[in-house]
Amino acid sequence: MNITMILLVSVILLALWVVSVYNFFVTSKTRVKASIQEIGNQLKRQADLIPNLEASVKGYLKHEKSILEMLSEARKLLSKGQDATKQISEVLPKLQVVVESNPELKANTVVSDLMGELRDTADKVMYARRLMIDLTADYNVKRVTIPTNIVANLFKFEELKGLETAEIGEHLTVNASEMKSPKVNL
Amino acid sequence: MNNIYEVQQSNKIKSGFIVFFFFIFVTLATYLISSAMGIYSGYEPGGLGFAGIALIVSGVSTFVSYYYSDKIVLGISDARLATKQEDKVFTSVAENLCIGSGLPIPKLYVIEDSAPNAFATGRDYDHAVICVTTGLLLKLNRTELEAVVAHELTHIKNYDIRLMSIVSVMVGLVALLADWFLRMSFHSRSKSSDRNNNQLQIIIMILGIVFAILSPFIAQLIQLAISRRREFMADGGAVVMTRQPQGLISALQKISNDHEPLEAANKATAHLYIANPFKDKNSSAVGWFSNMFNTHPPIQDRIAVLQKMS
Repeated sequence: MNITMILLVSVILLALWVVSVYNFFVTSKTRVKASIQEIGNQLKRQADLIPNLEASVKGYLKHEKSILEMLSEARKLLSKGQDATKQISEVLPKLQVVVESNPELKANTVVSDLMGELRDTADKVMYARRLMIDLTADYNVKRVTIPTNIVANLFKFEELKGLETAEIGEHLTVNASEMKSPKVNL
Repeated sequence: MNNIYEVQQSNKIKSGFIVFFFFIFVTLATYLISSAMGIYSGYEPGGLGFAGIALIVSGVSTFVSYYYSDKIVLGISDARLATKQEDKVFTSVAENLCIGSGLPIPKLYVIEDSAPNAFATGRDYDHAVICVTTGLLLKLNRTELEAVVAHELTHIKNYDIRLMSIVSVMVGLVALLADWFLRMSFHSRSKSSDRNNNQLQIIIMILGIVFAILSPFIAQLIQLAISRRREFMADGGAVVMTRQPQGLISALQKISNDHEPLEAANKATAHLYIANPFKDKNSSAVGWFSNMFNTHPPIQDRIAVLQKMS
């Protein structure tokens, strides 16, 4: 009687454990699928956002650049001792408009905002990939380690690929030009 | 050079070991003190025993502070909700890390205080809160801020707030029991003369007194050890998320080099912060002994562990 009770309890416990491991594998698979969709989602956001940002920043820069060009042209004429009244009278109204709407020329902040946006977008895509990589790694580790590998083999859970990266190629070797520290030329 | 996964694995084992040891100790202390109380007073109240009553008292008080931890702490610290317009870097960094870890985005708050610090609280993922000071937002760059937020997110992910609440219920239980027992010994000294001849009872009495004196103190020391261990775990978890130990190292350096104490912190909320908010307690003399009374490991030790990972 006692032994049958013990047996019964251990069988139930074992069954519960198998169920929980099985559920881990199937949920992981579903989560990996969702995380792949999230990568797509982030890529789409990036594709929508970056060209628009680029266009608006470009527009702003062009506007500011034309004013600066006109100003420097007028200055050039002045330094040669020529009459620059015509040029100045041309650029002055435009300058006024700019100064009234923006007290300072701020291409600097516009560009640094763009850089911040670019980094943020790249981070978002990177983190979306990270989640997918982590989830598949957890799944694959459980698939091969004792004792969960027994359940994995029982139900034939296959290995998940994660982020597909070529296993041979240039990223695993370092060539001579990559050994030098890079120099930044602006 | 330590593999981050191995570091996290050993952190988990060490932390589990301390927590296990803590519960064994609390059970033993509770048992000894309450049976000594029973012997001394000659009766056990109701079916619960003294331990039951003490558990309920310390449990209820801690449960309230645990259940409303987000609201209480935010109320004390006078925090405001972070907005996308005002705190763009903070909100986008938190959002990105949540994409990477699969956690829901916690509520984000900002405290107006120039001392750089941050904390996390809340009983579960849906009530999680991350709070940073304006000083932190000003002094750290994006990579460093990301590391700090990742540290706080790891606290949330590991349910550290829940663990520390349970642990403080236990510490409260032991402290209450010991307090009652010691008070009892002063007041009602008459009853038990006829019961003293049993040797086992005498031994339990002596052990009870010893435990009543020492165990509240010891329990608190173990609680602090657990807290320090969880800090190491959160550091490791932050590196697993960001893969940039350098970010957390320089963030910790900046935070520890800033000697301004945080006004919004008090003793009750100190363990929540990323670094001990009370700074200028002669930090040069941080020995093994004074370290035992800290909620956080010394910054140098944390940096040393992180440097091994990078």
